[in-house]
Amino acid sequence: MDQEKQSEYIIEVQNLVRDYVSHKGVFRKKKHTVRAVNNLSFFVKKGEIFGLLGANGAGKTTTIKILTTLLAPTSGSVSILGLDPMTQAKALRPRISFVFGGERSLYWRITGRENLNYFSDLYHISNEIKKRRIPELLELVGLKDHADERVETYSKGMKQRLQIARCLVNDPEIIFLDEPTIGLDPIGARDLRNIVKMLAKQGKTVLITTHYMYEADEICGRVAIVNKGKLVALDTPANLKAQTEHTSVIELHLNEKDDALLKGLNQIKEIDQIRANHTDQYESVSLQCKEPRTVFPQLFPLIGTGHLLSVRTREATLEDVYIHYVSQSPH
Amino acid sequence: MLPIINVIFSSLNVHARQNFARATFQFVILFQPILLSFLLYMMLRGSNPVHAGEYIVVSSGLMNLWSSIIFSSAGDIDRERYMGTLECIYVSPSDFRLIFLGHVLGNLLLGLFSMVLSSICVVFLFGLQVHIENPAEFLCAFTLSILSFTAISLLIGLIFTLSRSARILMNCLEYPIYILCGLVFPISVLPKALQFIAYVLSPTWAAQLLRESMAGIQNIRIFYFDLIALSILILVYFLLTIVLFKKIDRRVRIDGTLGVH
Repeated sequence: MDQEKQSEYIIEVQNLVRDYVSHKGVFRKKKHTVRAVNNLSFFVKKGEIFGLLGANGAGKTTTIKILTTLLAPTSGSVSILGLDPMTQAKALRPRISFVFGGERSLYWRITGRENLNYFSDLYHISNEIKKRRIPELLELVGLKDHADERVETYSKGMKQRLQIARCLVNDPEIIFLDEPTIGLDPIGARDLRNIVKMLAKQGKTVLITTHYMYEADEICGRVAIVNKGKLVALDTPANLKAQTEHTSVIELHLNEKDDALLKGLNQIKEIDQIRANHTDQYESVSLQCKEPRTVFPQLFPLIGTGHLLSVRTREATLEDVYIHYVSQSPH
Repeated sequence: MLPIINVIFSSLNVHARQNFARATFQFVILFQPILLSFLLYMMLRGSNPVHAGEYIVVSSGLMNLWSSIIFSSAGDIDRERYMGTLECIYVSPSDFRLIFLGHVLGNLLLGLFSMVLSSICVVFLFGLQVHIENPAEFLCAFTLSILSFTAISLLIGLIFTLSRSARILMNCLEYPIYILCGLVFPISVLPKALQFIAYVLSPTWAAQLLRESMAGIQNIRIFYFDLIALSILILVYFLLTIVLFKKIDRRVRIDGTLGVH
Protein backbone atom coordinates (compact mmCIF):
# COMPACT_ATOMS: atom_id res chain seq x y z
CA MET A 1 0.00 0.00 0.00
CA ASP A 2 1.43 3.43 -0.94
CA GLN A 3 2.04 6.18 1.63
CA GLU A 4 -0.78 8.42 0.38
CA LYS A 5 -3.38 5.72 0.59
CA GLN A 6 -2.12 4.59 3.98
CA SER A 7 -2.72 7.98 5.59
CA GLU A 8 -6.49 7.86 5.02
CA TYR A 9 -6.82 4.78 7.23
CA ILE A 10 -7.08 5.07 10.98
CA ILE A 11 -7.17 1.34 11.64
CA GLU A 12 -4.49 -0.72 9.95
CA VAL A 13 -4.23 -4.43 10.55
CA GLN A 14 -1.56 -6.34 8.67
CA ASN A 15 -0.87 -10.07 8.79
CA LEU A 16 -2.30 -10.30 12.30
CA VAL A 17 -1.88 -13.64 14.05
CA ARG A 18 -3.02 -14.59 17.53
CA ASP A 19 -2.48 -17.99 19.11
CA TYR A 20 -3.96 -19.17 22.40
CA VAL A 21 -1.77 -21.62 24.23
CA SER A 22 -3.16 -23.89 26.92
CA HIS A 23 -1.59 -26.68 28.89
CA LYS A 24 -3.24 -30.02 29.38
CA GLY A 25 -2.64 -33.17 31.39
CA VAL A 26 -2.12 -33.82 35.09
CA PHE A 27 1.22 -31.99 35.14
CA ARG A 28 0.07 -29.51 32.48
CA LYS A 29 3.00 -30.49 30.29
CA LYS A 30 1.02 -31.04 27.11
CA LYS A 31 0.90 -27.80 25.15
CA HIS A 32 -2.13 -27.11 23.01
CA THR A 33 -2.18 -24.16 20.62
CA VAL A 34 -5.25 -22.76 18.93
CA ARG A 35 -4.87 -20.15 16.19
CA ALA A 36 -7.75 -17.72 16.68
CA VAL A 37 -6.61 -15.10 14.15
CA ASN A 38 -4.72 -16.25 11.11
CA ASN A 39 -2.87 -13.70 8.99
CA LEU A 40 -5.69 -11.18 9.02
CA SER A 41 -5.28 -7.87 7.15
CA PHE A 42 -7.74 -5.00 6.71
CA PHE A 43 -7.85 -1.22 6.82
CA VAL A 44 -10.59 1.09 8.06
CA LYS A 45 -11.15 4.69 6.97
CA LYS A 46 -12.07 7.55 9.27
CA GLY A 47 -15.83 7.89 9.72
CA GLU A 48 -16.55 4.45 8.29
CA ILE A 49 -18.79 1.77 9.76
CA PHE A 50 -16.75 -1.34 9.13
CA GLY A 51 -18.18 -4.79 9.78
CA LEU A 52 -16.32 -7.94 10.75
CA LEU A 53 -18.59 -10.85 9.91
CA GLY A 54 -18.04 -14.37 11.02
CA ALA A 55 -19.48 -17.29 12.91
CA ASN A 56 -18.80 -17.94 16.60
CA GLY A 57 -15.11 -18.69 17.01
CA ALA A 58 -14.15 -16.91 13.78
CA GLY A 59 -11.72 -14.67 15.67
CA LYS A 60 -13.79 -11.47 15.73
CA THR A 61 -13.65 -10.86 19.49
CA THR A 62 -9.96 -11.72 19.63
CA THR A 63 -9.29 -9.19 16.87
CA ILE A 64 -11.23 -6.48 18.71
CA LYS A 65 -9.41 -7.25 21.94
CA ILE A 66 -6.08 -6.81 20.19
CA LEU A 67 -7.19 -3.53 18.62
CA THR A 68 -8.40 -2.20 21.98
CA THR A 69 -5.09 -2.90 23.82
CA LEU A 70 -6.52 -5.81 25.83
CA LEU A 71 -4.62 -8.59 24.14
CA ALA A 72 -1.16 -8.94 22.65
CA PRO A 73 -0.85 -10.19 19.08
CA THR A 74 1.34 -13.21 18.44
CA SER A 75 2.65 -11.60 15.25
CA GLY A 76 1.71 -9.05 12.62
CA SER A 77 1.22 -5.34 13.00
CA VAL A 78 -1.66 -3.19 14.19
CA SER A 79 -1.92 0.57 14.09
CA ILE A 80 -4.86 2.50 15.54
CA LEU A 81 -4.80 6.27 14.98
CA GLY A 82 -1.13 5.81 14.14
CA LEU A 83 -0.42 4.16 17.50
CA ASP A 84 0.61 0.63 18.39
CA PRO A 85 -1.99 -0.80 20.84
CA MET A 86 0.63 -2.96 22.53
CA THR A 87 3.39 -0.43 23.14
CA GLN A 88 1.47 2.87 23.01
CA ALA A 89 -1.64 1.82 24.91
CA LYS A 90 -1.45 4.78 27.29
CA ALA A 91 -1.75 7.31 24.45
CA LEU A 92 -4.37 5.29 22.60
CA ARG A 93 -6.79 4.37 25.38
CA PRO A 94 -8.36 7.84 25.92
CA ARG A 95 -9.17 8.05 22.18
CA ILE A 96 -11.01 4.75 21.72
CA SER A 97 -13.76 2.78 23.41
CA PHE A 98 -15.45 -0.59 23.15
CA VAL A 99 -18.59 -2.52 23.93
CA PHE A 100 -18.69 -6.27 24.24
CA GLY A 101 -22.13 -7.74 23.56
CA GLY A 102 -24.41 -9.06 26.26
CA GLU A 103 -25.39 -7.64 29.60
CA ARG A 104 -21.94 -7.60 31.16
CA SER A 105 -19.40 -4.78 31.54
CA LEU A 106 -21.60 -2.75 33.90
CA TYR A 107 -21.99 -2.48 37.67
CA TRP A 108 -25.45 -3.85 38.34
CA ARG A 109 -25.82 -2.75 41.94
CA ILE A 110 -25.53 0.94 41.22
CA THR A 111 -27.65 3.12 38.93
CA GLY A 112 -27.14 3.80 35.25
CA ARG A 113 -26.13 7.39 35.98
CA GLU A 114 -23.65 6.26 38.63
CA ASN A 115 -22.09 3.85 36.13
CA LEU A 116 -21.56 6.70 33.67
CA ASN A 117 -20.21 8.93 36.43
CA TYR A 118 -17.71 6.31 37.49
CA PHE A 119 -16.42 5.61 33.99
CA SER A 120 -16.21 9.37 33.35
CA ASP A 121 -13.95 9.67 36.40
CA LEU A 122 -11.76 6.84 35.12
CA TYR A 123 -11.43 8.74 31.81
CA HIS A 124 -10.55 11.96 33.71
CA ILE A 125 -13.59 13.81 32.35
CA SER A 126 -13.97 17.17 34.11
CA ASN A 127 -17.05 17.79 36.25
CA GLU A 128 -18.18 20.52 33.89
CA ILE A 129 -18.18 18.21 30.85
CA LYS A 130 -19.60 15.35 32.88
CA LYS A 131 -22.61 17.42 33.96
CA ARG A 132 -23.41 18.19 30.33
CA ARG A 133 -22.43 14.90 28.68
CA ILE A 134 -24.05 12.31 30.95
CA PRO A 135 -27.65 13.63 30.51
CA GLU A 136 -26.97 13.90 26.76
CA LEU A 137 -25.82 10.30 26.60
CA LEU A 138 -28.75 9.06 28.65
CA GLU A 139 -31.05 10.90 26.28
CA LEU A 140 -29.23 9.46 23.24
CA VAL A 141 -29.71 5.89 24.39
CA GLY A 142 -33.25 6.49 25.65
CA LEU A 143 -32.51 5.91 29.33
CA LYS A 144 -33.21 9.38 30.64
CA ASP A 145 -36.23 8.22 32.64
CA HIS A 146 -34.42 5.21 34.12
CA ALA A 147 -31.10 6.90 34.87
CA ASP A 148 -31.50 6.68 38.64
CA GLU A 149 -32.63 3.09 38.79
CA ARG A 150 -30.27 0.26 39.62
CA VAL A 151 -28.88 -1.47 36.53
CA GLU A 152 -30.02 -4.86 37.87
CA THR A 153 -33.61 -3.72 37.27
CA TYR A 154 -32.91 -2.93 33.58
CA SER A 155 -33.97 -5.15 30.70
CA LYS A 156 -31.31 -6.69 28.47
CA GLY A 157 -31.85 -4.03 25.81
CA MET A 158 -31.56 -1.22 28.36
CA LYS A 159 -28.31 -2.68 29.66
CA GLN A 160 -26.91 -2.87 26.16
CA ARG A 161 -27.91 0.72 25.47
CA LEU A 162 -26.30 1.78 28.73
CA GLN A 163 -23.15 0.06 27.54
CA ILE A 164 -23.22 2.23 24.42
CA ALA A 165 -23.57 5.33 26.63
CA ARG A 166 -20.72 4.05 28.80
CA CYS A 167 -18.45 3.71 25.79
CA LEU A 168 -19.18 7.29 24.76
CA VAL A 169 -18.25 9.00 28.04
CA ASN A 170 -14.79 9.83 26.68
CA ASP A 171 -16.13 11.01 23.29
CA PRO A 172 -13.94 8.43 21.47
CA GLU A 173 -12.76 8.77 17.89
CA ILE A 174 -13.13 5.05 17.27
CA ILE A 175 -15.78 2.77 18.75
CA PHE A 176 -15.38 -1.01 18.73
CA LEU A 177 -18.65 -2.87 19.05
CA ASP A 178 -18.50 -6.61 19.52
CA GLU A 179 -21.87 -8.15 18.70
CA PRO A 180 -23.78 -5.29 20.35
CA THR A 181 -27.23 -6.58 19.35
CA ILE A 182 -26.73 -10.16 20.47
CA GLY A 183 -29.81 -11.48 22.25
CA LEU A 184 -31.88 -8.36 21.68
CA ASP A 185 -35.47 -8.38 20.49
CA PRO A 186 -36.03 -6.95 16.97
CA ILE A 187 -37.05 -3.50 18.23
CA GLY A 188 -34.15 -3.31 20.67
CA ALA A 189 -31.74 -4.36 17.92
CA ARG A 190 -33.18 -1.79 15.52
CA ASP A 191 -32.83 0.98 18.15
CA LEU A 192 -29.23 0.01 18.68
CA ARG A 193 -28.51 0.02 14.94
CA ASN A 194 -30.04 3.49 14.73
CA ILE A 195 -27.72 4.69 17.49
CA VAL A 196 -24.72 3.27 15.61
CA LYS A 197 -25.82 5.05 12.42
CA MET A 198 -26.21 8.28 14.36
CA LEU A 199 -22.70 7.94 15.81
CA ALA A 200 -21.28 7.48 12.32
CA LYS A 201 -23.10 10.65 11.21
CA GLN A 202 -21.34 12.44 14.07
CA GLY A 203 -18.03 11.43 12.50
CA LYS A 204 -17.14 8.48 14.72
CA THR A 205 -15.44 5.50 13.18
CA VAL A 206 -17.20 2.27 14.12
CA LEU A 207 -15.81 -1.24 13.86
CA ILE A 208 -18.63 -3.66 14.51
CA THR A 209 -18.59 -7.44 14.67
CA THR A 210 -21.72 -9.42 14.08
CA HIS A 211 -23.00 -12.67 12.71
CA TYR A 212 -26.31 -11.10 11.71
CA MET A 213 -25.92 -10.50 7.97
CA TYR A 214 -28.91 -8.20 7.61
CA GLU A 215 -27.42 -5.99 10.31
CA ALA A 216 -24.13 -5.65 8.45
CA ASP A 217 -26.01 -5.08 5.21
CA GLU A 218 -28.02 -2.26 6.78
CA ILE A 219 -25.33 -0.30 8.59
CA CYS A 220 -21.87 -1.17 7.29
CA GLY A 221 -20.05 0.73 4.58
CA ARG A 222 -17.70 -2.22 4.07
CA VAL A 223 -17.58 -5.68 5.51
CA ALA A 224 -14.85 -8.24 5.99
CA ILE A 225 -15.92 -11.87 6.14
CA VAL A 226 -13.75 -13.89 8.49
CA ASN A 227 -13.70 -17.65 8.77
CA LYS A 228 -11.53 -19.55 11.24
CA GLY A 229 -9.46 -16.41 11.78
CA LYS A 230 -8.83 -15.85 8.07
CA LEU A 231 -10.15 -13.10 5.85
CA VAL A 232 -12.18 -14.64 3.05
CA ALA A 233 -13.80 -11.55 1.50
CA LEU A 234 -13.75 -7.77 1.93
CA ASP A 235 -15.94 -5.28 0.08
CA THR A 236 -19.08 -3.17 0.34
CA PRO A 237 -22.25 -5.17 1.00
CA ALA A 238 -23.52 -4.11 -2.44
CA ASN A 239 -20.40 -5.37 -4.22
CA LEU A 240 -20.44 -8.61 -2.30
CA LYS A 241 -24.06 -9.16 -3.16
CA ALA A 242 -23.33 -8.30 -6.80
CA GLN A 243 -21.19 -11.42 -6.90
CA THR A 244 -24.34 -13.40 -6.47
CA GLU A 245 -26.35 -11.21 -8.86
CA HIS A 246 -28.84 -13.16 -10.90
CA THR A 247 -28.58 -15.85 -8.27
CA SER A 248 -31.77 -17.17 -6.73
CA VAL A 249 -32.34 -19.26 -3.66
CA ILE A 250 -34.98 -21.99 -3.54
CA GLU A 251 -36.00 -22.70 0.04
CA LEU A 252 -37.69 -25.98 0.89
CA HIS A 253 -39.25 -26.70 4.25
CA LEU A 254 -39.73 -30.41 4.96
CA ASN A 255 -41.42 -32.09 7.89
CA GLU A 256 -38.59 -34.59 8.27
CA LYS A 257 -35.02 -35.14 7.16
CA ASP A 258 -34.80 -36.66 3.69
CA ASP A 259 -31.35 -38.12 2.92
CA ALA A 260 -32.49 -39.45 -0.45
CA LEU A 261 -33.54 -35.94 -1.44
CA LEU A 262 -30.15 -34.48 -0.47
CA LYS A 263 -28.42 -37.21 -2.43
CA GLY A 264 -30.60 -36.50 -5.47
CA LEU A 265 -30.05 -32.74 -5.22
CA ASN A 266 -26.31 -33.28 -5.45
CA GLN A 267 -26.87 -34.76 -8.91
CA ILE A 268 -28.59 -31.62 -10.28
CA LYS A 269 -25.84 -29.70 -12.02
CA GLU A 270 -27.83 -26.42 -12.19
CA ILE A 271 -27.65 -26.13 -8.38
CA ASP A 272 -24.57 -24.15 -7.29
CA GLN A 273 -24.86 -24.74 -3.56
CA ILE A 274 -26.94 -26.80 -1.14
CA ARG A 275 -27.44 -25.93 2.51
CA ALA A 276 -29.46 -28.07 4.91
CA ASN A 277 -30.62 -26.76 8.28
CA HIS A 278 -32.55 -28.24 11.17
CA THR A 279 -35.03 -26.14 13.16
CA ASP A 280 -37.51 -27.14 15.86
CA GLN A 281 -40.39 -26.85 13.43
CA TYR A 282 -38.98 -28.22 10.16
CA GLU A 283 -35.98 -29.29 8.11
CA SER A 284 -34.88 -26.52 5.79
CA VAL A 285 -32.96 -26.98 2.53
CA SER A 286 -31.66 -23.94 0.61
CA LEU A 287 -30.53 -24.29 -2.98
CA GLN A 288 -28.54 -21.56 -4.72
CA CYS A 289 -28.94 -21.54 -8.49
CA LYS A 290 -28.92 -19.19 -11.46
CA GLU A 291 -32.19 -20.33 -13.01
CA PRO A 292 -34.85 -21.83 -10.71
CA ARG A 293 -37.05 -22.74 -13.70
CA THR A 294 -34.53 -25.36 -14.79
CA VAL A 295 -34.22 -26.78 -11.28
CA PHE A 296 -37.91 -27.17 -10.40
CA PRO A 297 -38.72 -29.93 -12.93
CA GLN A 298 -35.83 -32.02 -11.59
CA LEU A 299 -36.55 -31.17 -7.98
CA PHE A 300 -40.16 -32.24 -7.41
CA PRO A 301 -39.76 -35.89 -8.40
CA LEU A 302 -37.10 -36.20 -5.70
CA ILE A 303 -39.37 -35.09 -2.85
CA GLY A 304 -41.07 -37.96 -1.04
CA THR A 305 -44.85 -37.89 -0.62
CA GLY A 306 -45.98 -35.84 2.35
CA HIS A 307 -42.50 -34.45 3.14
CA LEU A 308 -42.80 -30.98 1.64
CA LEU A 309 -44.30 -28.27 3.86
CA SER A 310 -43.51 -25.21 1.74
CA VAL A 311 -41.36 -23.99 -1.12
CA ARG A 312 -40.38 -20.48 -2.11
CA THR A 313 -37.82 -18.66 -4.21
CA ARG A 314 -36.03 -15.43 -3.33
CA GLU A 315 -33.04 -13.32 -4.37
CA ALA A 316 -29.68 -14.07 -2.79
CA THR A 317 -28.87 -11.96 0.30
CA LEU A 318 -25.64 -11.05 2.06
CA GLU A 319 -26.19 -14.13 4.19
CA ASP A 320 -26.01 -16.30 1.08
CA VAL A 321 -22.81 -14.50 0.06
CA TYR A 322 -21.40 -15.14 3.52
CA ILE A 323 -22.30 -18.81 3.38
CA HIS A 324 -20.85 -19.03 -0.10
CA TYR A 325 -17.47 -17.68 1.10
CA VAL A 326 -17.38 -19.56 4.37
CA SER A 327 -18.22 -22.90 2.78
CA GLN A 328 -15.61 -22.35 0.06
CA SER A 329 -12.74 -21.41 2.37
CA PRO A 330 -10.41 -24.30 3.25
CA HIS A 331 -10.80 -25.89 6.66
CA MET B 1 -3.31 15.40 41.51
CA LEU B 2 -7.06 16.04 41.49
CA PRO B 3 -7.87 13.42 38.82
CA ILE B 4 -5.83 10.87 40.80
CA ILE B 5 -7.80 11.56 44.01
CA ASN B 6 -10.98 11.54 41.96
CA VAL B 7 -10.18 8.09 40.53
CA ILE B 8 -9.35 6.66 43.97
CA PHE B 9 -12.39 8.18 45.65
CA SER B 10 -14.77 7.26 42.83
CA SER B 11 -13.47 3.70 42.81
CA LEU B 12 -13.74 3.51 46.62
CA ASN B 13 -17.32 4.76 46.51
CA VAL B 14 -18.53 2.43 43.75
CA HIS B 15 -16.85 -0.69 45.05
CA ALA B 16 -17.66 -0.22 48.72
CA ARG B 17 -21.32 0.05 47.70
CA GLN B 18 -21.12 -2.84 45.24
CA ASN B 19 -19.47 -5.04 47.86
CA PHE B 20 -21.67 -4.08 50.75
CA ALA B 21 -24.70 -5.10 48.68
CA ARG B 22 -23.33 -8.68 48.57
CA ALA B 23 -24.59 -11.11 51.20
CA THR B 24 -21.17 -12.77 51.66
CA PHE B 25 -19.53 -9.46 52.34
CA GLN B 26 -22.27 -8.44 54.77
CA PHE B 27 -21.59 -11.68 56.63
CA VAL B 28 -17.84 -10.99 56.71
CA ILE B 29 -18.33 -7.45 57.96
CA LEU B 30 -21.30 -7.79 60.30
CA PHE B 31 -21.45 -11.35 61.62
CA GLN B 32 -17.97 -12.77 61.31
CA PRO B 33 -16.45 -10.33 63.86
CA ILE B 34 -18.99 -11.44 66.44
CA LEU B 35 -18.43 -15.13 65.67
CA LEU B 36 -14.64 -14.80 65.70
CA SER B 37 -14.67 -12.84 68.95
CA PHE B 38 -16.91 -15.49 70.50
CA LEU B 39 -14.63 -18.27 69.27
CA LEU B 40 -11.51 -16.61 70.67
CA TYR B 41 -13.27 -15.78 73.93
CA MET B 42 -14.26 -19.41 74.39
CA MET B 43 -10.71 -20.55 73.61
CA LEU B 44 -9.19 -18.17 76.15
CA ARG B 45 -11.86 -18.41 78.84
CA GLY B 46 -10.45 -21.51 80.49
CA SER B 47 -6.88 -20.21 80.76
CA ASN B 48 -8.02 -16.77 81.99
CA PRO B 49 -5.01 -14.81 80.66
CA VAL B 50 -4.28 -11.18 81.40
CA HIS B 51 -5.10 -8.78 78.52
CA ALA B 52 -7.57 -11.27 77.06
CA GLY B 53 -9.74 -8.38 75.83
CA GLU B 54 -6.88 -6.75 73.93
CA TYR B 55 -5.83 -10.13 72.53
CA ILE B 56 -9.33 -10.90 71.23
CA VAL B 57 -9.86 -7.43 69.78
CA VAL B 58 -6.56 -7.48 67.88
CA SER B 59 -6.86 -11.11 66.76
CA SER B 60 -10.47 -11.03 65.61
CA GLY B 61 -9.99 -7.53 64.15
CA LEU B 62 -7.02 -8.55 62.06
CA MET B 63 -8.57 -11.87 61.07
CA ASN B 64 -11.58 -9.98 59.89
CA LEU B 65 -9.53 -7.35 58.12
CA TRP B 66 -7.69 -10.15 56.33
CA SER B 67 -10.95 -11.88 55.37
CA SER B 68 -12.40 -8.66 54.04
CA ILE B 69 -9.24 -8.07 52.01
CA ILE B 70 -9.10 -11.58 50.62
CA PHE B 71 -12.80 -11.94 49.88
CA SER B 72 -13.26 -8.43 48.61
CA SER B 73 -10.09 -6.79 47.35
CA ALA B 74 -8.62 -9.93 45.86
CA GLY B 75 -12.02 -11.42 45.08
CA ASP B 76 -12.98 -8.19 43.33
CA ILE B 77 -10.55 -8.99 40.55
CA ASP B 78 -12.22 -12.31 39.90
CA ARG B 79 -15.73 -10.93 40.22
CA GLU B 80 -14.96 -8.07 37.85
CA ARG B 81 -13.40 -10.51 35.43
CA TYR B 82 -16.66 -12.48 35.27
CA MET B 83 -18.77 -9.29 35.21
CA GLY B 84 -16.76 -8.10 32.21
CA THR B 85 -15.88 -4.84 33.97
CA LEU B 86 -12.24 -5.75 34.59
CA GLU B 87 -11.46 -5.22 30.91
CA CYS B 88 -13.34 -1.91 30.91
CA ILE B 89 -11.52 -0.45 33.90
CA TYR B 90 -8.19 -1.90 32.82
CA VAL B 91 -8.21 -0.11 29.45
CA SER B 92 -9.34 3.21 30.90
CA PRO B 93 -6.60 5.85 30.93
CA SER B 94 -6.42 5.71 34.74
CA ASP B 95 -3.60 3.71 36.28
CA PHE B 96 -5.06 0.32 37.22
CA ARG B 97 -3.16 0.42 40.52
CA LEU B 98 -4.99 3.61 41.51
CA ILE B 99 -8.37 2.13 40.58
CA PHE B 100 -7.57 -0.94 42.62
CA LEU B 101 -6.30 1.21 45.50
CA GLY B 102 -9.82 2.64 45.63
CA HIS B 103 -11.21 -0.90 45.93
CA VAL B 104 -8.76 -1.73 48.70
CA LEU B 105 -9.43 1.43 50.70
CA GLY B 106 -13.18 0.89 50.46
CA ASN B 107 -12.82 -2.63 51.77
CA LEU B 108 -10.41 -1.52 54.47
CA LEU B 109 -12.92 1.01 55.71
CA LEU B 110 -15.57 -1.69 55.96
CA GLY B 111 -13.00 -4.01 57.54
CA LEU B 112 -12.20 -1.38 60.16
CA PHE B 113 -15.87 -1.17 60.98
CA SER B 114 -15.80 -4.84 61.88
CA MET B 115 -12.81 -4.19 64.17
CA VAL B 116 -14.95 -1.69 66.05
CA LEU B 117 -17.79 -4.20 66.12
CA SER B 118 -15.46 -6.81 67.55
CA SER B 119 -14.33 -4.38 70.30
CA ILE B 120 -17.94 -3.61 71.21
CA CYS B 121 -18.64 -7.31 71.35
CA VAL B 122 -15.68 -7.99 73.67
CA VAL B 123 -16.51 -5.16 76.04
CA PHE B 124 -20.30 -5.34 76.21
CA LEU B 125 -21.04 -8.99 75.46
CA PHE B 126 -18.18 -10.73 77.25
CA GLY B 127 -17.57 -8.01 79.84
CA LEU B 128 -13.81 -7.91 79.21
CA GLN B 129 -11.79 -4.75 79.60
CA VAL B 130 -9.87 -3.29 76.68
CA HIS B 131 -7.13 -0.75 77.36
CA ILE B 132 -4.66 1.09 75.22
CA GLU B 133 -1.64 1.50 77.50
CA ASN B 134 0.56 3.33 74.98
CA PRO B 135 -1.80 5.42 72.83
CA ALA B 136 0.87 7.19 70.76
CA GLU B 137 2.64 3.94 69.92
CA PHE B 138 -0.72 2.28 69.29
CA LEU B 139 -1.66 5.03 66.81
CA CYS B 140 1.67 4.53 65.07
CA ALA B 141 1.27 0.73 64.97
CA PHE B 142 -2.33 1.03 63.82
CA THR B 143 -1.44 3.42 60.95
CA LEU B 144 1.34 1.14 59.81
CA SER B 145 -0.94 -1.90 60.08
CA ILE B 146 -3.49 -0.25 57.82
CA LEU B 147 -0.73 0.71 55.38
CA SER B 148 0.62 -2.82 55.42
CA PHE B 149 -2.79 -4.35 54.71
CA THR B 150 -3.24 -1.85 51.87
CA ALA B 151 0.14 -2.76 50.41
CA ILE B 152 -0.34 -6.52 50.65
CA SER B 153 -3.86 -6.26 49.26
CA LEU B 154 -2.65 -4.24 46.26
CA LEU B 155 0.08 -6.77 45.59
CA ILE B 156 -2.24 -9.78 45.86
CA GLY B 157 -4.89 -8.11 43.69
CA LEU B 158 -2.38 -7.41 40.94
CA ILE B 159 -1.08 -10.97 41.04
CA PHE B 160 -4.67 -12.23 40.82
CA THR B 161 -5.09 -10.48 37.44
CA LEU B 162 -2.67 -13.10 36.09
CA SER B 163 -4.85 -16.10 36.72
CA ARG B 164 -8.40 -17.11 36.03
CA SER B 165 -8.10 -19.43 39.05
CA ALA B 166 -7.94 -16.46 41.42
CA ARG B 167 -11.05 -17.65 43.27
CA ILE B 168 -9.39 -20.91 44.27
CA LEU B 169 -6.25 -19.09 45.37
CA MET B 170 -8.39 -16.64 47.29
CA ASN B 171 -10.10 -19.41 49.23
CA CYS B 172 -6.74 -21.04 49.99
CA LEU B 173 -5.27 -17.87 51.44
CA GLU B 174 -7.62 -17.17 54.33
CA TYR B 175 -6.83 -19.71 57.06
CA PRO B 176 -3.09 -20.17 56.40
CA ILE B 177 -2.59 -16.48 57.19
CA TYR B 178 -4.54 -16.79 60.46
CA ILE B 179 -2.13 -19.56 61.42
CA LEU B 180 1.11 -18.26 59.92
CA CYS B 181 0.81 -14.71 61.25
CA GLY B 182 0.10 -15.64 64.84
CA LEU B 183 -3.40 -14.22 64.81
CA VAL B 184 -4.82 -17.09 66.89
CA PHE B 185 -1.79 -18.51 68.71
CA PRO B 186 1.87 -17.43 69.01
CA ILE B 187 4.06 -18.19 66.00
CA SER B 188 6.70 -19.57 68.38
CA VAL B 189 4.75 -22.85 68.37
CA LEU B 190 5.20 -23.16 64.59
CA PRO B 191 8.11 -25.09 63.00
CA LYS B 192 11.17 -22.91 62.27
CA ALA B 193 10.69 -22.93 58.50
CA LEU B 194 7.15 -21.67 58.86
CA GLN B 195 8.27 -18.98 61.28
CA PHE B 196 10.56 -17.63 58.58
CA ILE B 197 7.56 -17.31 56.24
CA ALA B 198 5.59 -15.65 59.03
CA TYR B 199 8.17 -12.90 59.34
CA VAL B 200 7.91 -11.85 55.69
CA LEU B 201 4.17 -11.40 56.12
CA SER B 202 3.18 -8.01 57.46
CA PRO B 203 0.13 -9.15 59.53
CA THR B 204 2.59 -10.98 61.85
CA TRP B 205 4.29 -7.71 62.79
CA ALA B 206 1.04 -5.76 62.82
CA ALA B 207 -0.53 -8.18 65.32
CA GLN B 208 2.57 -8.10 67.52
CA LEU B 209 2.78 -4.30 67.57
CA LEU B 210 -0.91 -3.72 68.18
CA ARG B 211 -1.04 -6.21 71.05
CA GLU B 212 2.08 -4.76 72.67
CA SER B 213 0.94 -1.16 72.46
CA MET B 214 -2.47 -2.06 73.88
CA ALA B 215 -1.26 -4.29 76.69
CA GLY B 216 1.75 -2.15 77.56
CA ILE B 217 5.17 -2.15 75.91
CA GLN B 218 7.71 -4.25 77.86
CA ASN B 219 10.79 -3.29 75.86
CA ILE B 220 10.62 -0.11 73.82
CA ARG B 221 13.70 -1.06 71.74
CA ILE B 222 12.09 -4.29 70.59
CA PHE B 223 8.89 -2.41 69.87
CA TYR B 224 10.71 0.08 67.63
CA PHE B 225 12.62 -2.72 65.96
CA ASP B 226 9.28 -4.36 65.11
CA LEU B 227 7.96 -1.02 63.89
CA ILE B 228 10.96 -0.63 61.55
CA ALA B 229 10.59 -4.22 60.33
CA LEU B 230 6.95 -3.58 59.46
CA SER B 231 7.86 -0.31 57.71
CA ILE B 232 10.47 -2.11 55.62
CA LEU B 233 7.97 -4.80 54.66
CA ILE B 234 5.43 -2.15 53.63
CA LEU B 235 8.07 -0.49 51.47
CA VAL B 236 8.98 -3.83 49.90
CA TYR B 237 5.31 -4.58 49.12
CA PHE B 238 4.78 -1.15 47.55
CA LEU B 239 8.00 -1.44 45.57
CA LEU B 240 7.00 -4.88 44.34
CA THR B 241 3.61 -3.48 43.27
CA ILE B 242 5.35 -0.76 41.26
CA VAL B 243 8.04 -2.98 39.76
CA LEU B 244 5.84 -5.99 39.02
CA PHE B 245 3.03 -4.00 37.43
CA LYS B 246 4.82 -3.54 34.11
CA LYS B 247 5.60 -7.24 33.90
CA ILE B 248 2.11 -8.23 35.02
CA ASP B 249 0.53 -5.81 32.54
CA ARG B 250 2.47 -7.43 29.71
CA ARG B 251 1.72 -10.95 30.92
CA VAL B 252 -2.05 -10.46 31.27
CA ARG B 253 -2.21 -9.13 27.71
CA ILE B 254 -0.17 -12.02 26.37
CA ASP B 255 -2.18 -14.64 28.26
CA GLY B 256 -5.50 -12.85 27.85
CA THR B 257 -6.51 -13.33 31.50
CA LEU B 258 -8.52 -10.12 31.91
CA GLY B 259 -11.68 -11.58 30.48
CA VAL B 260 -13.40 -14.92 30.36
CA HIS B 261 -14.93 -14.67 26.89
